Amino acid sequence: MNKLILLFAFVLTFGIAGAQSRFLTKDAKINFNSSTPLEDIIAESNQATTFIDIEKNEIAFSVLTTSFKFRRALMEEHFNENYMESAKFPKAKFTGKIVTPIDWKSEKMVVAEIKGQLTMHGATKDMTIKAQITPGKNKIIATSELKVTPEDFKIAIPSAVRDKIAKEVTIKIEAAYAPYQQ
Amino acid sequence: MINTMTKKLLTSALILGMLVLYSIPAKSQDLDSLLEKEAIPQTTYATATFKSTRIVNGHSVERMKKKQLEFRVSHRFGQVNDGSYNLWGLDQGTIHLALEYGLTDWLEVGIGRSTYEKTFDGFGKVSLLRQSNGAKNMPIQLSYLLSTELISFKSNPEKYKDVYSRMSFVNQILIARKFNESFSAQLTPTFIHRNLVPTELDKNDLFAMGAGARYKLSKRIAFNVEYYYVYRANSSSLPVKYYNPLSVGIDIETGGHVFQIMLTNSQAMREGGFIGKTTGSWSDAGIRLGFNISRVFSFNK
Repeated sequence: MNKLILLFAFVLTFGIAGAQSRFLTKDAKINFNSSTPLEDIIAESNQATTFIDIEKNEIAFSVLTTSFKFRRALMEEHFNENYMESAKFPKAKFTGKIVTPIDWKSEKMVVAEIKGQLTMHGATKDMTIKAQITPGKNKIIATSELKVTPEDFKIAIPSAVRDKIAKEVTIKIEAAYAPYQQ
Repeated sequence: MINTMTKKLLTSALILGMLVLYSIPAKSQDLDSLLEKEAIPQTTYATATFKSTRIVNGHSVERMKKKQLEFRVSHRFGQVNDGSYNLWGLDQGTIHLALEYGLTDWLEVGIGRSTYEKTFDGFGKVSLLRQSNGAKNMPIQLSYLLSTELISFKSNPEKYKDVYSRMSFVNQILIARKFNESFSAQLTPTFIHRNLVPTELDKNDLFAMGAGARYKLSKRIAFNVEYYYVYRANSSSLPVKYYNPLSVGIDIETGGHVFQIMLTNSQAMREGGFIGKTTGSWSDAGIRLGFNISRVFSFNK
């Protein structure tokens, strides 16, 4: 009887500990480019926090807008003060569901479709983005490129500088996840 | 007997361990709340306490960041009470040109030249404390300014033939706080040493307390006011009547430029001049219209 309980306990314990369903990274890279022939506008943050849940096929991203670094200090200041209003809306967020089925044991790169919501500057928009996901036992790599329109997120651009900022901003994401230890 | 005991203990321990594992709430948390939990505690530093490195005439706590160069053109017209013949001061002008550069994010250096007494100046501004909240909390920003001015105007060559006699030194502690997105204020204790002063009654050492504030009228337009109380024990006996500088201005920001338009009773645009030698008075319209134009260039690759 005791042995049976012991076995049962072992199985359960290992069963839980072994089912690593969540992967995390706190230094995912996000850069964006809204350059025009008149002005180079490039910024990068390597402080995005992101989770992948391979059981539920969910993904979540969060980044502080003040963590984006620009080459020109004044541009960075204007980005936070005038456009993103970082004091009022400190974070940009994405949460979504991976709709393309992925064999998480395969270690083969998959182009996956993710349906979710992007929230920044206090506005939320439904988006479907494409991401390249490479599963692995102890590492998952995901990269993505998406385009957003500032006006969709209520980011006002004065007409005087409208020609200097791209109509569509290209955002590139690189994340290397490791198993999440609580 | 002992064997059974051990087994029982082992079993209980395992069941306990199992229960602990089960009770970890993370299993039932969604990713959103996990993100909140895992976010690294961040420190948010107050930025853009003022729109420019000057409130109006005097320095603000703002600096050029690393490898950023600012070219400043400052201009003051003549006194409004000059009347219609001088088109209320618009016929005259005093100019100051300056190049100011951020060696690091916390150290700015600058050089300048003014038509006012043909003055050269050079300064360094160091940021000692940054206002922040989050992981690190700091209620104020604190900077120190050291500026040297050299008058090259040949008024009395004999008395001023020695270069040292034409130098003065400005020390300022800049204490500022950004109270909210719109309102910032600054206190500026000032000590100025002048190597040689015009008369025996003028003091070589001058103490002053500056106060300045800005209020943002919109995202790109701000209203500024700046006042320096200058301590002069013997002001009534001085041959020239000096006034405390009071200035009000509007900042207009357009991308890489900041325009500052102001009304001030000072002619000079550097501390030794406007704190030490302001002769205009607001009470009899001894004020001037003026502007500063700032253009920033980046040398960051």
